[in-house]
Amino acid sequence: MSEPVSSPRQSLLSGAGLLLLLWGSSFALSVLWPTAVAEHCPLGKDVLRPDRSVCELAFGGTWISLSIGLLAGAAATLVGLLVASLARGLGRWIDAALMRSADALFALPDVLVLMVLQFAAQTAADLHPRLRIGPVPLMVASLAMVGWAAPARQFRDRLDTLERAEFVGAAHALGAGRWHLFGWHLWPFLRDYVLAVFLARVPAAILAESTVSFLGIGKVEPMSLGRYLGTSYASLLHGEGARVVLPAWLLLILIVIGATLAGRGA
Amino acid sequence: MKATLVRAARQLILIPLVALASYGLMVLLPLSAGEESKRQLSPDLLASYRRDLGIGEPFGFLRPWQKLWEGKRLGTSNQGVTGEELLLKLTSSVAVGLFALGFAVLWAFAFALIRLRLRRSRWAAIGDVVPALAFGTPVFIPALLLAPYVVEAGHLLPELAAAGLISIWPGIFLGSLLVDSFETELARDYVRTASSKGLSQSQVLCRHVLPNVLPTFLDSIGPVATALLAGSFAAERVLGLPYFGQLYVLAVLQKQIAVVVVATTLFAGVLVLVRLLIGLARGWVDPRAREPTLGEVA
Repeated sequence: MSEPVSSPRQSLLSGAGLLLLLWGSSFALSVLWPTAVAEHCPLGKDVLRPDRSVCELAFGGTWISLSIGLLAGAAATLVGLLVASLARGLGRWIDAALMRSADALFALPDVLVLMVLQFAAQTAADLHPRLRIGPVPLMVASLAMVGWAAPARQFRDRLDTLERAEFVGAAHALGAGRWHLFGWHLWPFLRDYVLAVFLARVPAAILAESTVSFLGIGKVEPMSLGRYLGTSYASLLHGEGARVVLPAWLLLILIVIGATLAGRGA
Repeated sequence: MKATLVRAARQLILIPLVALASYGLMVLLPLSAGEESKRQLSPDLLASYRRDLGIGEPFGFLRPWQKLWEGKRLGTSNQGVTGEELLLKLTSSVAVGLFALGFAVLWAFAFALIRLRLRRSRWAAIGDVVPALAFGTPVFIPALLLAPYVVEAGHLLPELAAAGLISIWPGIFLGSLLVDSFETELARDYVRTASSKGLSQSQVLCRHVLPNVLPTFLDSIGPVATALLAGSFAAERVLGLPYFGQLYVLAVLQKQIAVVVVATTLFAGVLVLVRLLIGLARGWVDPRAREPTLGEVA
């Protein structure tokens, strides 16, 4: 039997540390001291935007992608938790209806639903400029609307299992109400699970945002990693693909590794 | 039998649900020709939206399907699509997806076997690095790097490249699950008993372990099918394949509302069909799956 390489706590700390380092350094170097990156970039200038360096664009997009992933992951987890609590609290029919809705959404790929939502929001904004919201809040809201189904199903199943435990039956027999049971007896067992689900949603949200931005549907501004890669498509024609694609790819992988490590430890 | 029918009905109900939800979402868009001076959509386009979606007509939600049935073009002017074209594109995408599924199964077994073999060696870390690389790589990145070499090649190379690329993540995902299942099963008593009776390692694996691993493997194919079809959006666009994924992205970019509604529903239909087939295969492989679950009995 081999020893585990690291404890869950170490895994959580190293994953969270990596994410914090990426976000902090990207934000600091692209927003606070942008000239430092531009002047010392070993990868040179971007082919399509000669006034910007590859480092500025790739590294500058990291904190945007990461922020979108964290916000969207948190929103999707909260909505999922709310739906699961309502499903368990409001009786069998509501439970069945909510879970069928989650299944219907779950049956479609995130990217497809995201495209429809972005399309709907952009069309609405074209027709009524008052309805226009910023691209980043729109992307976060779209990702949350797409991402709640899986957490809702996971939390609902977890709550179902917990509610069958003897201590819950005992608390119920002693007169504990539904919301008291949730807050005092179920939540302490659910807390770590919620954190793990949230951390699992982060890379999924980042990758979905990257793909949608790459396809030219989400116009996140300032540029996220996905949008940067999408708009750099033509640089491949100049034979500069690897120089443009590889740094942004590496940053995406580091973000996913950070979130996965933290999720494993949660 | 009854349990199988209940499960099939639960899956099939998702198709009209998705159809109504996507139609409802599109109809809820503020399509009225408002008075805003900054309105960017022309009155002709608005009229075509209304016509395509049958807004204000009784059973208007059936309008896009009626147009398809009558062989008319969905969408505006020459950017629209007929039912025949839609079916052809969908079939082509499904064919690429089937190739991708085959590749994914191959990657899965290859990854699982390599990881099991390396698990006690100093190269065991590879088993952790490969999934991280696969999960952290959106399909479009390797597609971008490969595109200059395959787009112009023809001879089905772009299709095979697309299938290969979109199968990487699902293959590694399935492989990781396979490793976990294999490790759980290999630790069980029946494996030790079979080995102590003189069966070779490959006989134990094929005759005893594999039948117990297959149900878990089949359960994971559903989410993988979704990922394969989702991956095709980006791969088809980068590799210049004019199939269903490309059609869908263009329909969204060009605001072809009726095409989006029909394509979303067809997409859900394909996924439901895949799940039904997996359910049947699951019942064939594992007799326990034919029994109703506690929820179904209740």
